[in-house]
Amino acid sequence: MDRWLLIASTLLALIGSVRGGLAVHRGRRSRSTVLWLGAAMVCQLAFLAHRGQLRGVCPLADRGEILVFLAWSLTLFYLLVGPAYRISLLGVFSAPVVVVFQAVALVPGALDAQPRGITGGNPWHEMHSATSVLGYGALALASVAGVMFLVLDRQLKQHHLQSGLFQRLPPVRELLVSMVRLLWLGGGLLSLGILAGMLMPRDSQADHHMIAGHLIAALVVWTGYAVLLGVHRVRGLTGRRLALLTVAWFILSLGVFAFI
Amino acid sequence: MELLCLGLNHRTAPVEVRERFAVGNKKLGAAACELSAMTGVSEGLVISTCNRTEYYLVASDTREAFALLESHLAEKIQIDAGVADHFYRMEKTDAARHLCRVVSGLDSMLLGETEIFGQVKQSYQAALEAGATAGVLNRLFQRAFGVGKKVRTETSIQHGSTSVGNVAVDLAEKIFGHLKDSEVMILGAGEMSRITAQSLVSRGARSIFVANRSYDRAVELATEMGGSAVRFDAWQKVLERVDVVISSTGCPFPIVHRADVEPARHARKFRPLFFIDIAVPRDIDPAVGEIEEVYLYDIDTLEQLAQRARGSRQLQIDECERIIDIELAKFNLAGTRDPRGQGE
Repeated sequence: MDRWLLIASTLLALIGSVRGGLAVHRGRRSRSTVLWLGAAMVCQLAFLAHRGQLRGVCPLADRGEILVFLAWSLTLFYLLVGPAYRISLLGVFSAPVVVVFQAVALVPGALDAQPRGITGGNPWHEMHSATSVLGYGALALASVAGVMFLVLDRQLKQHHLQSGLFQRLPPVRELLVSMVRLLWLGGGLLSLGILAGMLMPRDSQADHHMIAGHLIAALVVWTGYAVLLGVHRVRGLTGRRLALLTVAWFILSLGVFAFI
Repeated sequence: MELLCLGLNHRTAPVEVRERFAVGNKKLGAAACELSAMTGVSEGLVISTCNRTEYYLVASDTREAFALLESHLAEKIQIDAGVADHFYRMEKTDAARHLCRVVSGLDSMLLGETEIFGQVKQSYQAALEAGATAGVLNRLFQRAFGVGKKVRTETSIQHGSTSVGNVAVDLAEKIFGHLKDSEVMILGAGEMSRITAQSLVSRGARSIFVANRSYDRAVELATEMGGSAVRFDAWQKVLERVDVVISSTGCPFPIVHRADVEPARHARKFRPLFFIDIAVPRDIDPAVGEIEEVYLYDIDTLEQLAQRARGSRQLQIDECERIIDIELAKFNLAGTRDPRGQGE
């Protein structure tokens, strides 16, 4: 059943993505995207709740679950941030990312077909997983805002101002502000996740090595974001560089899941 | 009872004729009452803007009503012989269709402009409050407002800016969002830069700095706009804090070079900077536009954008006319359209 829930969620996000893209292409506001993504989120929640019941802990035990959790986190931040900043177009850019994450999760082998219950779960471990993935959701949305900025910047620089997309994109300054706020939010959640990870109990030598490798990778990611935010705050960065680094570092940081 | 319209506008009459027929906002109600008090006329309404004056009447005999109205105007305004040639006269569905076109901005000097909607509404309100309208005009004007709204929401007739100043302001809003946090610097105290800066201020720009070779002129313009004057050799320092620079000096060579902007970048923390160059010859070296956070637009680019918006509005006319016909047909007001057009 969980697989069907995930397929339904992916299809809903796909419809939102296609309808939103078409609306933007025609120069119209994509009003329904938020509804499609809201419906996709309901299915994501049902999927995660079902997997959580089967696992007996927060469902972050295989790559598929992590990707779905990440897609849920991205959707959650979009639904929280989008309306607050009146960035309706953010959904049009976020929906394809949700589709990609969930499509990868649906690839055979990504999700355990028979998820086993996990006994002896540890609260630090669960807090580490949940806050880290939530942080990744915020950072993913920052990357989406970064892509939107890059598109708008290019159109403004090249004086291509007639497309429907240009008309619908939010102002440059608004995109930069939301990108930076999401980076701080994502960075903060990531910090909490790493702190919780450091407090995770290590039952064996193998556990110790596995957790250490994972935390080192997470610390590298965290350091990258800390440097990016530090340089932006102290010295300043052009919008283009900030957006490019945000997108590039997010894509690279997905590699941390290889250590799980 | 039949509907009729007599009027003149920017296409049929020069300003020296139009100004004689202009009716002040406070007198619209009384003017409408004068019309409805004429023999054989049951309802009357006057629309008066800087580009048109139109009289809408409901009368039992249209030919008689036109003659009565023209003699009333001749007596009131003391028009010369030949002025009547500037009038257009429409009856029944042609008059209704004309009103819908006016309300939709299709008959305006600036195609698709929105101000006319409010002006017609104000005229209607004045006539309504004066008791000069009844069944026919009330129904017609309510319908026309509905049609005007539909035309504007379902077509792109009001999309895009059609003047250089408005294009520049729209671009500033696309970069900075609300302009209330934005500061503007004007290089050269010419008329074009004054108009553009004024548009930015009217949309909320926080403060204005004026730099001009003649400091006295800079002070004069800065005082007029509620801003501050800057000595011309100190504008580079002000660049560190402003978001928009409008340049329109009469200098025969560029005065803003990449080397002038580079030192300000660090102090600005690489925030976006919008340069509007409306001078000919250009004031800003195109190399300035290669700086990452700089958006540079010159007069040609702005004019092209305005021209494109005007062109795209023209392409919407047929669609607007189609909506008007459908809406009028729904309310049984449309008839066979005069193949010669509106007669203006």
